[in-house]
Amino acid sequence: MASGKPGVPVSFDKVQKSFGAVRVLEELNLQVKPGEFLVLLGASGSGKTTALRILSGLETATEGRVRIGGRDVTDVLPKYRDISMVFQSYALYPHKTVAENIGFPLKVRKVNQAEQDVAIREAAAQVQLGELLHRYPRELSGGQKQRVALARAIIRRPSVFLMDEPLSNLDAKLRGHMRAELKHMQESFGITTIYVTHDQIEAMTLAHRVAILEKGVLQQLATPAEIYNNPANLFVAQFIGSPPMNIIEGALSGDTFQTSDGKIKTPVKGKAAKAVLGVRPEDCTVTSAAKGDIKGEIFTNELIGDHTLVTVKTDGGLMAVKAAKEYKGKSGEAIGVALLKSGLYVFEAEGGARLR
Amino acid sequence: MMELTARNTESWGEWIDRHSRTLFIAPAVSLILIFAIFPTFYSIVFALSRVRFSANGLQFRFVWFQNFYKQLFGNDQVHFLGKIEGLSAVGTVFLAIASAAVLWWLYRSVRTATWVGMIGRLISAATAIFVSWIMGATLLSGNPIGTLLTTLFYVTIGCGLQFFIGTGLAFLCSQPISGKSFFRVVFFIPLMITPLGVGFAMRMVADSSKGPLLPLLDFIGAGNWIWSADAWSARFVMMICDSWQWIPFIFIVMLAALENVPRDHVEAAQVDGASSVQIFREIIWPQIVPVAVTVLLIRMIEAFKIVDLPNIMTGGGPGTSTESMTLHSMYIWRSNDMGTSAAVAYLLLILTVVVCASFFNYVVLGQLRKARA
Amino acid sequence: MSEASFKFEKADRSLMERLFEPPAVGKMSPAANVVAHLLLVLWSLFVLFPIYWIVITSFKDAAAVNLGPFYIPFVDFQPNLDAWRMQFNIEPNCDLAAIARQVGLLLYNTFAFVVSPIVALQPMDPQICKIYHAFTNSIVVSIISTVVCVTVGSMAAYALARIQYKPKFGNIMMFVVLCLLVIAATSYSGVPWWASTAVALALFFLLARAFGKHFKHTLGNGDILFWIISQRILPPIVVIIPVYIMFQSVGLLDTHLALIIMYAVANLPIVVWLMHDFFAGLPIELEESAQLDGATRFAIFWEIVLPLTRPGLAATTLLTLILNWNEYLFAVFLAFANVQTMPIMVAAKNAGEKGIFWWEMSAIIVIMIGPVIIMAIILQRFIARGVLLGAVKG
Repeated sequence: MASGKPGVPVSFDKVQKSFGAVRVLEELNLQVKPGEFLVLLGASGSGKTTALRILSGLETATEGRVRIGGRDVTDVLPKYRDISMVFQSYALYPHKTVAENIGFPLKVRKVNQAEQDVAIREAAAQVQLGELLHRYPRELSGGQKQRVALARAIIRRPSVFLMDEPLSNLDAKLRGHMRAELKHMQESFGITTIYVTHDQIEAMTLAHRVAILEKGVLQQLATPAEIYNNPANLFVAQFIGSPPMNIIEGALSGDTFQTSDGKIKTPVKGKAAKAVLGVRPEDCTVTSAAKGDIKGEIFTNELIGDHTLVTVKTDGGLMAVKAAKEYKGKSGEAIGVALLKSGLYVFEAEGGARLR
Repeated sequence: MMELTARNTESWGEWIDRHSRTLFIAPAVSLILIFAIFPTFYSIVFALSRVRFSANGLQFRFVWFQNFYKQLFGNDQVHFLGKIEGLSAVGTVFLAIASAAVLWWLYRSVRTATWVGMIGRLISAATAIFVSWIMGATLLSGNPIGTLLTTLFYVTIGCGLQFFIGTGLAFLCSQPISGKSFFRVVFFIPLMITPLGVGFAMRMVADSSKGPLLPLLDFIGAGNWIWSADAWSARFVMMICDSWQWIPFIFIVMLAALENVPRDHVEAAQVDGASSVQIFREIIWPQIVPVAVTVLLIRMIEAFKIVDLPNIMTGGGPGTSTESMTLHSMYIWRSNDMGTSAAVAYLLLILTVVVCASFFNYVVLGQLRKARA
Repeated sequence: MSEASFKFEKADRSLMERLFEPPAVGKMSPAANVVAHLLLVLWSLFVLFPIYWIVITSFKDAAAVNLGPFYIPFVDFQPNLDAWRMQFNIEPNCDLAAIARQVGLLLYNTFAFVVSPIVALQPMDPQICKIYHAFTNSIVVSIISTVVCVTVGSMAAYALARIQYKPKFGNIMMFVVLCLLVIAATSYSGVPWWASTAVALALFFLLARAFGKHFKHTLGNGDILFWIISQRILPPIVVIIPVYIMFQSVGLLDTHLALIIMYAVANLPIVVWLMHDFFAGLPIELEESAQLDGATRFAIFWEIVLPLTRPGLAATTLLTLILNWNEYLFAVFLAFANVQTMPIMVAAKNAGEKGIFWWEMSAIIVIMIGPVIIMAIILQRFIARGVLLGAVKG
């Protein structure tokens, strides 16, 4: 499918936002490339939605400039920004039919009815809604509502798509399906897309690049693979990955990490009296108690499907370890956990900065 | 002995609990049956009788529909309906157009309505044509109008005005405006002030010999104008005072309705490029129409009962021109003619029920159905 | 749709656009802002001026009123307290002992009719301290009737929200026919009212027992709710004449009890309407779990349901209180001397032959509307939360 418009770049330049005394966004600098699918990822209250709303013009930045396609739009009304937005609640007008909802952006621009009809049918076809044009939103399922909201966003081919957790109200199965469709649609249109979510799987699967926000501060901006393999700090390392990265406290001297019950060789050299060693569950293996880097006993044993998740009780707390699905250990059995050296990350205990 | 008492009290509690179904609702239902339903029926007897006080209580003499006849066609006609003499050309045309419109509406609904619905429509239509005839014969033929049309004037023109101003103010207050909470409190106050106090305050403010508006009236050259001497100006002043009190009601409900429109909808429309006017017309208004017609219905129901204001401000004068039907009935009661008083009250009941039921069936229900369909 | 129709640069905007378009979402355009504030301020003046006028008039004397209009105290005229003093001192007997006696009588009468409506009420001297008299009457009547109305009304509203009722249509018709028979017998055949009523009630229960089973057509909760709420359409003037006669025949005219009952009945529809909405909106699981724990319906209502609806209950109570305080028509018919309420006293003074003493009247009215303005400001905070909207939508 040919794109309507080439993608445009978007940038946040030292954008700050406060509500009264509460600072929700600290100096955000962000360059989005033309046609890029950028995901803003963060927990609730991280400022990701605020950033999106500032870009949409529904909220004004306290400081800093916002640019779309190289133009400063900081003080421009939403309707002049050439953007369209999909809301978490879909924001479908209950008194309008599907067709009227989809055609609304054209109607308010006084496009004539015949052109509107053509565009509505085309947009509806793109999201597979052709049959439902005369229904009202309350007669639609969650997935169908989601499609209507999408169709309303794509009908006028904006320069930028904004999506505010568009999939969070769908059930898990439908979410996976819509995710694939969204990705396909974005690629075929080539329109710059900013997507807000708290769901790391959505972020990892959809994004060209992911921006992780926490407490109004940008933690890392990188491709999903980079974020996973090379987290910038402890927060990112723990935020991404399921189950989350295991954390072991201790001290680093040279390339040796000293924990309460042993020494672990790390790929990093440095010195820190208080450090944190991080290792993902898939970089751990269960071995006999004698061999492991860390000793403990089995706490629980869950068969996930393609693997078994073993929770190990160690001196430093609980640790998650991925094992083969055939693995059968008994609760309370003493075992050791071997750590893959290349999968070890070391962070400062204070502030969480990565030691490289 | 102790055991026995304990068991006794417990069985009491059990008895109460077993009958809680009845006990919960019985007080309210009995109160309404005894003090609203029973008197309503009792009132029919008054309306159909000549009632006299005598040494051993009230004496009822059954007179069929004489009391009603007196109001509609007899010597009280001028007071109740107005002076019906010589239908003018304008009045005739108005009557013809109104009747034609009503009959057309009736004709169109023949196919769809059930027979119960049809009877209802016939009653509404008959009332509408009757009122149009009275309007044509009195108002539009230059004759004075009676308490029936005065009441309808307060209800229709008054409620309409209150609705527009109230909704307008609510819309302004729903905008991002500074001092919103101050305006809200201030605009709400009149609703709660004793109507009698409102009447008196307005009487003072509108006083034509030492009231505060005198300099203003002098300035526009109407210093000698006495509003209470002319029938229509008195009615309009009455209506404005009534509006002063009741606009807050519309305001407060409509404001809540406006603020209840999901913010997402408005924001989505803003991003989609709609102007404020478009947003109001396309997004907000359709979502608050059901509330709007309901609040209008409630206001109309209350407006039919208007009595305090004309009573204190003009005493119904000049002549009987600001008298509402309630006040009309009250004055007849004061002259100890209970039968006629009850008849007028019953006419008011019929009028209220017909108008409100029509509005409810043809307007409110339609909007509610549309909103929920 | 084309890019040309979008303006990106602020510099692009003409003066007109800058005037009529908001600078950002959540703000108003300068022109709209000015117009809106102008309208709102004008309306505030329109709303506040009569109240202002009545307050300053109460501080004027005869000269300041009659030579008027004077607008600003201390500038246009010298405010004084004559009108206020008059309220309290014009009657030479109005000393502390008289006031104490009145309050004592009021308390006694309140107690008397709470214990039993048949106990004779002490006549109170209507000539002394009219203002105290009317004010305390108003307070006693409106507070007690509000309590009665809200209690009875919320019980019914709760029952209608949670318990299924199926009244038989036939029984209702039977009741109506017996009602008419009682009325006809009492009015035209001179049968004493208590005899006909007793016979009719007995007949009703007998017939309902005997034939009730055979009536098939039943009504539902929705019908009962609609019936109660629709009572609000009934103009009070329709019922007031029979009610007057009814109270006369049991000797309750000009008593607190008569006013309390009628005020409560008049506001029952509003209470049931508002409270039904709150009750219907409560999660039923709480009540079900209490039921499993063995609580009785009354316990559930009192311990669980009422506390949960507290904001709604408060708003409804306040609204009923204000409506009762303002009630006029019932009081005109049912109260003459003993239980004159504030509105009746004001109306009587207004109709006085001596001409109206504006300043004195203003003082009385300030006393009358003072409490409601305070209550209104409190109520407004509840309503601002949209407490009443749900009912209107429902």
